[in-house]
Amino acid sequence: MRRIHAHHFLFALLISAIFFTPASAQKLNGKSTAAAKSADNAPLKLTLPVKDGSVRFAVIGDTGSGTEQQRDVGDMMVKYHGLFPYEFVLMMGDNMYGGEAPQDFEKKFAEPYRVLLTDKVKFYATLGNHDQALQTNYKNFNMDGKEYYRFTKGDVAFYSLNSNYMDKKQVKWLEDELAKETSKWKICFFHHPPYSSAKKHGSDGQLREAVEPIFLKYGVKVVLTGHDHVYERIKPQKGIYYFVSGAGGKLRTGDIDKNSGLTEKSYDRDLHFMLFEIAGDQMYFQAISRTGETIDSGVINRK
Amino acid sequence: MPFQPYMKKRYILIWLLVCLLIFASGVAVGQKTQNAALAEPVVVSPADKAAIETFEKHVKGYIELRNKVRANAPKLSKDSTPEQIHAYRTTLEQSLRNARPNAKRGEFFRPETADFIRRTLKIEFQGKDRRELRDQIFETETQGVVLRVNYPYAQTAELSEMPATLLTKLPQLPKELRYRFVGRNMLLVDRESDLIIDFMPEALP
Repeated sequence: MRRIHAHHFLFALLISAIFFTPASAQKLNGKSTAAAKSADNAPLKLTLPVKDGSVRFAVIGDTGSGTEQQRDVGDMMVKYHGLFPYEFVLMMGDNMYGGEAPQDFEKKFAEPYRVLLTDKVKFYATLGNHDQALQTNYKNFNMDGKEYYRFTKGDVAFYSLNSNYMDKKQVKWLEDELAKETSKWKICFFHHPPYSSAKKHGSDGQLREAVEPIFLKYGVKVVLTGHDHVYERIKPQKGIYYFVSGAGGKLRTGDIDKNSGLTEKSYDRDLHFMLFEIAGDQMYFQAISRTGETIDSGVINRK
Repeated sequence: MPFQPYMKKRYILIWLLVCLLIFASGVAVGQKTQNAALAEPVVVSPADKAAIETFEKHVKGYIELRNKVRANAPKLSKDSTPEQIHAYRTTLEQSLRNARPNAKRGEFFRPETADFIRRTLKIEFQGKDRRELRDQIFETETQGVVLRVNYPYAQTAELSEMPATLLTKLPQLPKELRYRFVGRNMLLVDRESDLIIDFMPEALP
C-alpha cells in the first residue's frame, strides 16, 4: 500500500514539474478554451536538441484577432518556453486586425503574450496587410521605427521586410545590406508568401520576382512568411527553405491545395506556432498546434 | 520492300513528335514575346516627363507643409506606447486636415499625370500572367473606405499589397507617402496619418 502511495506521489510530482511552471500557473488564472484545457493533460514533446549557445526563437503569424484561440496559442507558447527557453519571437504580420486603438494593442497583443513579455522575451514584428504603419514605433514590436530592418543574434542575421510595399528603395536596401552581411545564416521574414499552396491567397508571384533573385545571390537560406492562415513547409525552392506560418490567431480550415506540388508538409486544422534552434550549421524546427501536438519537425543544413 | 504496318506506326509517331516540337517551340516563342512586351519600360515622352515633374513638385510642396505641421505634433519615439501612437496619429491627422482646408481631388493626379499613370497601369496589368495581380488587388477587403480627399483611410480596412514590379514604374514617392488601391481606384495616402491626399477613380483598366 505504501509503495502504491509512493508511486502516485512520484507521478504527481512529475506531472507538476512539467505543467506547473510559474508561467503556466499564471495561465490557469486566465481564460482558456475547452480544447486547450483538455490538452493540458497531453505531454509536451520537444524535438529540438537545446544545445549550449544556440540561437532559439519562436515564430507566430497572423495573430492579432484577440480571440480565445489566440490566447490558447499564447498559453501553449508559454508552456514550451519552460522546456525550450527561446529568447525572442518573430511575428509574420497582421499583428492587429480591425483597428489599432490603445485597447487593441492590449487585447490583440499584450494580453495573449503577457507571460512571455514579463519573462523578457522580445518580439520582432513585420507589417502585414492589416497593419498600420505606426506599429513600427510600438516599443514591444522592436521595429526601431522602421518598416524594414535587420538585427543579429549570434551568427544569424534576420531581415524583416515590408512586403506590402516592396519599392525600389527597399529592394536596394535589402541588396546593399545582404552584400555586406557577414553572419553565417541569413533569414528573411515578411508577410506575403512567395510560395504557398493555400487556396485563399497562394503564391505571391510578383513579390517572388522582386526578391528571390536577391535571396539566391546572397545566400538567404530560410524565408518565413504568413498571410495564408495555415502552416506549410514548402519543398526547397532553388535551395531556399520557405515556411508559411500564418495561423497564430486566425485559421482557414481545409485551405491547403493538396495538389499544388509545393508542399513538403502542411497543416490547416488548428492554429499553430513554431520553434527554431540554430546551432552551428544546423537549424532545427518544430511546428506545434494550439493544443500542443507536434505537426512538423526537422533540421535544415546550411551547407 | 513492302511497307510494314509497324513501320507505318513508327512514321506516324515520328511525325507526331515533330508536330509537337514545332507547336511547343511556337508557344515558347510566343510566351517569350509576351514577357518581353511586359518587361518593356513605359515610353516616357517629354510631355510625360513634364507631367511627372509637376507631380513631384506638388509632392515636395506637401512634404514641406507636412514637416511644418509635424513640428507642432507630439514627438514619437521608436519605443512608444499605444497611447502615444494614438495621440501622435490623431494630432497629425487633424493638423494636416486643418492645414489643407481646400484640398480637392486632382491636385496631385492632374490630368496629364493621371494619363501617364493610367497608361503605365494598362501596360503593367496586361497579359495572362498579370491576372493573378488583378485578382490580388480586387480580393482586398476595403469595405468602409470612403474615397474622399483629406479624410482618413478606414483603419479597419485591409491594405492592398502594391505590386513590386509596378512600384518601379510609377513616379517615386518620399517615405511619407504611399500609393494604394481600393478596387480600381488608385490613392495617394499619407503613410502615418492615413489621410487620403488624392485619388484617381477607375485608374486600373
